[in-house]
Amino acid sequence: MKVWALLFLIPSFALAAELDPKESQREQLEKLRTEVAGQIQLQAYDLLDELVFGWIQQAPFALQTNVVLADVSVPVGFSSGLQALIENHFNTLLIKNPQTHLTLTHCPECTSLVVHSGSKGTIVARGFDQPEALATAGKISGSKHALFLDFEVEGSSLVLRARITSLEADLPIVYARTLSTLNTSAAMLRDPEHLKSAEDARKEYLDALEGRGIFLVPIRLGVRVFTPRNQSIVITPFVWLSVGIEASLTQARAWTASFSAGFSWAPELHVGWEAQARIARLISGSTVSLTRPDLYAFFGGAVVNVYGREALAFRRNIPTIEELTIIFRDRASEPSFTYGTIQLGAELRVKNRVSVILFIESAPGINDAEGVGKFLDLGILSIHTIGVEASFCF
Amino acid sequence: MKAAAPIALLLAACAYDPAPGITMSKAASRNLECNRISQAEAHQRYPGRVPDLPPRGSYSNIDALVCSTKISQPGDRPARDDVVLTSMRESVGEITRLANALVPRTAVWHVDTFYPEQLVAQKLSVAARTDLAERGHKVSDRVPVLAPGDIAVLARLEPKKAYPLACARYFKEKVLTDPDAFLGMMIMDARETDLHAGICVRGEWKWLK
Repeated sequence: MKVWALLFLIPSFALAAELDPKESQREQLEKLRTEVAGQIQLQAYDLLDELVFGWIQQAPFALQTNVVLADVSVPVGFSSGLQALIENHFNTLLIKNPQTHLTLTHCPECTSLVVHSGSKGTIVARGFDQPEALATAGKISGSKHALFLDFEVEGSSLVLRARITSLEADLPIVYARTLSTLNTSAAMLRDPEHLKSAEDARKEYLDALEGRGIFLVPIRLGVRVFTPRNQSIVITPFVWLSVGIEASLTQARAWTASFSAGFSWAPELHVGWEAQARIARLISGSTVSLTRPDLYAFFGGAVVNVYGREALAFRRNIPTIEELTIIFRDRASEPSFTYGTIQLGAELRVKNRVSVILFIESAPGINDAEGVGKFLDLGILSIHTIGVEASFCF
Repeated sequence: MKAAAPIALLLAACAYDPAPGITMSKAASRNLECNRISQAEAHQRYPGRVPDLPPRGSYSNIDALVCSTKISQPGDRPARDDVVLTSMRESVGEITRLANALVPRTAVWHVDTFYPEQLVAQKLSVAARTDLAERGHKVSDRVPVLAPGDIAVLARLEPKKAYPLACARYFKEKVLTDPDAFLGMMIMDARETDLHAGICVRGEWKWLK
C-alpha cells in the first residue's frame, strides 16, 4: 500500500520541484492579466465602435480623406498584443463603413524614426512629428492626416482619446474626441457592418436577454384547406385556434420542440379538436438573429378529431339517405371522425414574437375518404391538406 | 427563530455592502470605485437586479450605489503612476479649465508634460491636448524644444525658476511666437502625485496650480 502511495507521489513531487513558487505565481498573474486584457479588449472595441458610429453620423471630413493610423497607444502596463487587436478591429470598422470618409493609407515613414538635419541641428523623431522632413522626402503626398488612438485605464473606466492631426509644419489638431466606458457596463459587442448607437445596442441586448427564456407559449390562428375529391362533396376550410408550449432544445434556439392543442368550430358543420407536436430546426443561420427574421423548417404530427356533419366527408363511404335523415333529426347521433397527420412546414419568425407558418399535411387515414382529395399524390405519400398559421409567442 | 430573520437580512445586506466588513476585505474595498445613481437609471442599467419605480411613485427617495472593481489591480503599475493615471481625466480637466479662462481663444496651444516616466508624460500631454481641442481651442501636436545648451542650464535650476526661464527662452529663440500659448504640466517632487501646471504666453510664465 505504501509503495503504491509513493508511486503516486513521485510525479507530484517532481512537478513541484519543477515549478518554483515565484514562477507559479507569475504564471497565475499572467493568466489573470490575459483575462483582464480580454475584458479590456472588448471594452476597447466598444469605444472604437462608438467612435466610428459618431463618424458615420457626422464624418470628420466632407470628402474622402487619406489618413495614416499613426499611433495606437494601449493603457500603461498592457502589452502590444492588445495594440494589434485594437488596430485590426479599427481597420475592419473603417473598411466596412466607408461613410466615415476616412481611408487608411500605408505610410511606414510616418511611424518610423526619421533623422533630419537642418539649420537648427539634427533631429531624430517619428516621421509624423516632423512633417517637413517627410514633405522634403516626398513621403506624404498621398496622406495629409495622421490619426492617433490613445487608450488609458482610469479607475474602472477605459478612456479613448482620438485625434486627427494635419501633417503640416505646425501639426494642428483638426479633430479630437474623448470617449469613456460607462462605469461597470459590459461591452456591447456590436456588429461592425451594422453599427448602432450604444443606446440601441443596449436595448437590443436587453431584448435578447428577455427573449432567451427556454419556454415560450405560442398562440396560433390558422386555416387548413382541403381539396375536394369530386365536386359533389366540398369541405369548408377549417379555422383553428391553438395554444401550446414551445421549448428551446439548444441555447441558441437552433432546435425547438412544441406541443399544442387546438380547437375549431363552424356553426352547424363541425367541432374539431386537435393535438399536435412539432420539432423545428433553424435554417437561416446557426443562431437566432436579433436584426433579421428567422426561418425554421419543421416536422411534426397531429391527431385531429372532427365531430359534426362535416365528419361524414372524411368517411370512406358516401352517406346513405337514412343516415342523413337520422343525423338531421337527432343531433346526438352526429358522426365523429378521428385521423392522424404528418406535417412538414416552414415558419418565418421575428424575434421570437410573431411568426407566419406554412405547412402541408399527409393523412393516410383519409386517403380513401369520399370528400377529401389530394393536392399532390406521390404514390407512397399524398398531400391532403395545406395550412397557414399566424403565431404569437408569449 | 424570530431572531433568525434580522440576522439573515443583515447577512444579505452585508453581501452587497462595498464597505469593509464581514464579506469585504479592506484591500478589496479600497479597489472599488462607486457612484450613486437614481433608481430609475439603475433599473435601466441593471433591469434584473434593481426593480423599476412603482407606477404611482414613491414616498421615499431610493438610489443605488454602483460599485465596480478598478481595471488595474494594485501592483499592476507603479503606485505613483497608477494614482496619476486614475485621476488623469479630473486633474487634466481642471488644469485645462483654468488655462481656458486665462488665454484668448485665438491662441494656438502647445502642451508638454515633465514627468519622470516618459509613457505617463505622453498620456498626460495627449489628455490635455484632446481636452483643449474639444473645448474649441486651436491645438498643435508640436512640442516646443529648446537647444541642448538651454536644457543643460535649466536642469540645474530649481523648478520654480526653471519653468519661467524656459518660457522666456521659448519666445526669445522663436520656438514659440505670439499667438502661441504653452501649457506645461509637471510634478515638482518625485514622491508627489498632484500635478502642477503653468502657462507661458508672450514669454511670461504663470502658475495655474
